[in-house]
Amino acid sequence: MADETFDLSACLERVRQHDQAAARELVEHLYPLVIRIVRSHLPRRVAEEDLAQDIFLKMFTRLDQYKGAVAFSHWVSRIAVTTCIDQLRAQKRRPEFRWADLSEKEAEVLDSVLTSDGEVAVNDALASRELVYKLLGQLKPEDRLVLQLLDLEQRSVAEISELTGWNPSLVKVRAFRARGKLKKLFEELERKERS
Amino acid sequence: MKNFESRWQRLVVAARQAPVADEGAAPYGFATRVAARAMNAGQPAVLAVFGRFSVRALYLACLLTLTGVAANYLAFAGTEDDEQNLIDPVSEVFTNASSG
Repeated sequence: MADETFDLSACLERVRQHDQAAARELVEHLYPLVIRIVRSHLPRRVAEEDLAQDIFLKMFTRLDQYKGAVAFSHWVSRIAVTTCIDQLRAQKRRPEFRWADLSEKEAEVLDSVLTSDGEVAVNDALASRELVYKLLGQLKPEDRLVLQLLDLEQRSVAEISELTGWNPSLVKVRAFRARGKLKKLFEELERKERS
Repeated sequence: MKNFESRWQRLVVAARQAPVADEGAAPYGFATRVAARAMNAGQPAVLAVFGRFSVRALYLACLLTLTGVAANYLAFAGTEDDEQNLIDPVSEVFTNASSG
């Protein structure tokens, strides 16, 4: 996406005329955007390359539906997000969250968050992120997505609404419910930690 | 909820500080493979159109065959009558012998 000289509209026109070289250029141009979304929403056991490929194939299939009402990158992001949600939905069973499954560092961070009021150390950032993903992984795909976008990626309700197609009220309701579920999970973890 | 909110926010703030993995370029051959699959994906649509026309052509051929059979049924039936009306010399000899 950093390539400022890339002529997107010309490339799209060539792709519509079944120019394979243009299709390749488009994939290369959009790859960083798509892989970023895939990595942040990657369902368990799904290879990121396979998911990225599915997203690109969907994009090409639906290219005729793109009328230019929104930025092309935004349109592709939406395809990517909905594809990730579909993949997450396909994985119905979510593994139980257990202290024993956490790495030493992750358990340390969680313990610190549950027992003290201090900030998490900066050098624990990676473990914190893994822990956040594991906690979010306990939620339904839609709940996970809304909290990830709101809290981790710091997107606004309007942005989430555009990205997911959910209306702003639904985004707020989902976020509220997701926080409620996460709160219960925290309480459960705290209980287990004490026992 | 307030206690939870503060815990969650502390965790999320720390998580946001984690370095983002390099998004970099597509792996070697990825774009070529995806582009080839996407462009070839159009072919089944062409084949499907061809197939649909083939089926229609088959229906039309069946219809024409049936029309042809129906139109010529009388002619076939007529041929059968003609066969029955053919002069059979052997039976004629026997008929003449018995009458004579």
